[in-house]
Amino acid sequence: MIGKPIGPRLALVALALGAVALFSEPHRGPFVKLDAQELGMIVGQEVDHVTPVELASWIVEGRSDYRLLDLRSPEEYAEYHIPGAENVPLAGLAEYPLLPGEKIVLYSGGGIHAAQGWMLLRAQGFKAVYAVLLGLNGWTDEVLYPEPSASDDPREKARFERATAMATFFGGQARTKAGEAAGDQPALPKMAAPVAGPAIPVAPRGKKREGC
Amino acid sequence: MNAPLYKYGMFGDEMSLLIAFVIGIGFGFFLERAGFGSARKLVSQFYLDDMAVFKVMFSAIVTAMLGVTYLGWMGVLDVDLVYLVPTYLGPQILGGLLLGVGFVVGGYCPGTSVAALSTGRVDGMAYALGIFAGTIVYGESYTAIKDFVNAGARGALTLPEAFNLPWGVVVFAVVLVAVGGFYGATLIERRVGGAK
Amino acid sequence: MSEYEPSPGDSPYMNPYLAGVGLGLVLLAAFVLMGRGLGASGAFSSTVAWLMSVFAPAHAQASEYYQGYLSDGTHPLKAWLVFEVLGVMAGALFSGLLAGRVRLSVEKGPRVSNGPRLAAAFTGGMLMAIGAHLARGCTSGQALSGGALLNAGSWAFMLMVFVGGYATAYFMRWQWR
Repeated sequence: MIGKPIGPRLALVALALGAVALFSEPHRGPFVKLDAQELGMIVGQEVDHVTPVELASWIVEGRSDYRLLDLRSPEEYAEYHIPGAENVPLAGLAEYPLLPGEKIVLYSGGGIHAAQGWMLLRAQGFKAVYAVLLGLNGWTDEVLYPEPSASDDPREKARFERATAMATFFGGQARTKAGEAAGDQPALPKMAAPVAGPAIPVAPRGKKREGC
Repeated sequence: MNAPLYKYGMFGDEMSLLIAFVIGIGFGFFLERAGFGSARKLVSQFYLDDMAVFKVMFSAIVTAMLGVTYLGWMGVLDVDLVYLVPTYLGPQILGGLLLGVGFVVGGYCPGTSVAALSTGRVDGMAYALGIFAGTIVYGESYTAIKDFVNAGARGALTLPEAFNLPWGVVVFAVVLVAVGGFYGATLIERRVGGAK
Repeated sequence: MSEYEPSPGDSPYMNPYLAGVGLGLVLLAAFVLMGRGLGASGAFSSTVAWLMSVFAPAHAQASEYYQGYLSDGTHPLKAWLVFEVLGVMAGALFSGLLAGRVRLSVEKGPRVSNGPRLAAAFTGGMLMAIGAHLARGCTSGQALSGGALLNAGSWAFMLMVFVGGYATAYFMRWQWR
């Protein structure tokens, strides 16, 4: 380093930037504003939700990097809830202990309460907040009682095979024919422990291995 | 702008592979520039006469850390969406020790061995073959050691969360440690290896 | 194949702080573009899993470990880290050619012959691979990327890498000094 003063100069720059960074708030500051434009963009690009099938595959894989919150009433929760969910009625959401940086997945019966909860948490500065698309209704239709596809596309067939295995895993049952009315479905499964079958095919997880 | 761009769906998987290649070029270029294609340069860190490993690594960490902090502060980068390797303290401590031993025995780490073998270092090629062998050993014994591998899961945990400190305070502390370390490392180099 | 000797035509190595800043900016680009850090060992794992699936398909199918790399429905080599490591090869070769440092040679100290050196390199690679799997990342993925994100596990890991290295250095003097 002798005769090359670049080191000390870089050190000074780093120290100055580091000192200013003392006041930074990359996570939650006391005043958080909702950026309407950003919100619109997030909603428009649908990065704000997870589909029921995605959530189901997380559960099957045993992922633990997210918190799943059920925003319905304790009675509804006791009757049925998605495995691993914590019951937090919407009114109590603002005070519910959550860590900054946690990935939070919300669901309600349909989608409205989850969307309201999503907005609330975003306004509090939580960034990784997602709602289950169509809530428990979506979960029932797509995971518990999936519908066979009318087409003969082999990829659709493979998808339905996975969906059938998944439905069994969560205590549901695939529908027999396409277009079967939702009313024909059996009632929600009893809140017994999900069938822990050893032979659950792991759904394609996309190229989501992000580690080294 | 909303970053990380990939996670906001600004481009797809095919494009991400092209970006991987371009980012890799930058990575390999600076590794080789710094002399990290040379095992002797790398292990000198552990014989105290050339601390370039520490200097390069901590300059890179400080640069990227400040970048993440400022981009997050400006609201450009959503830091929470950047992937954090989950913390498993026990396996990570043992793994770190093994890596340190492997570093001095073999002369490289995985990234630097790639830089070495592509600049013609035969020992870098032997090292890479060793990585393949070690991966098979691990893969075959995975069922036996799975419980240990997954023990002590703490999820995605950052230092500010672990010590309950504001993010900026930890950032400043890391800068202080790095700059202090650079100064100390230069003093040690001069004492042990003579003026270099 | 001889020991690597710097020749008068070689450029000196880059200032470590400047190289570090360059590396840091590349890492930052990975964060901003991809939302992930750099890596290396994962590319080796994908390659091994792919080789297994070609030469021992039944075995790969039965192994939970290999399935982690094979079950995503796409070709196992069509992975981010594989392409990144191909880039590392290209980038390092480019830099080496610029500096005149590309030579078929062995990196070692003055007191060791090629055979023991290559055996040690192979052993080191094995140890490193096992360690990197336990730690869920190597020096690039854990120490560098996780370090910049203030990941608690990464900092514990990084400390232990230096501890392990300094603890072994004395016993490896025959190879390097």
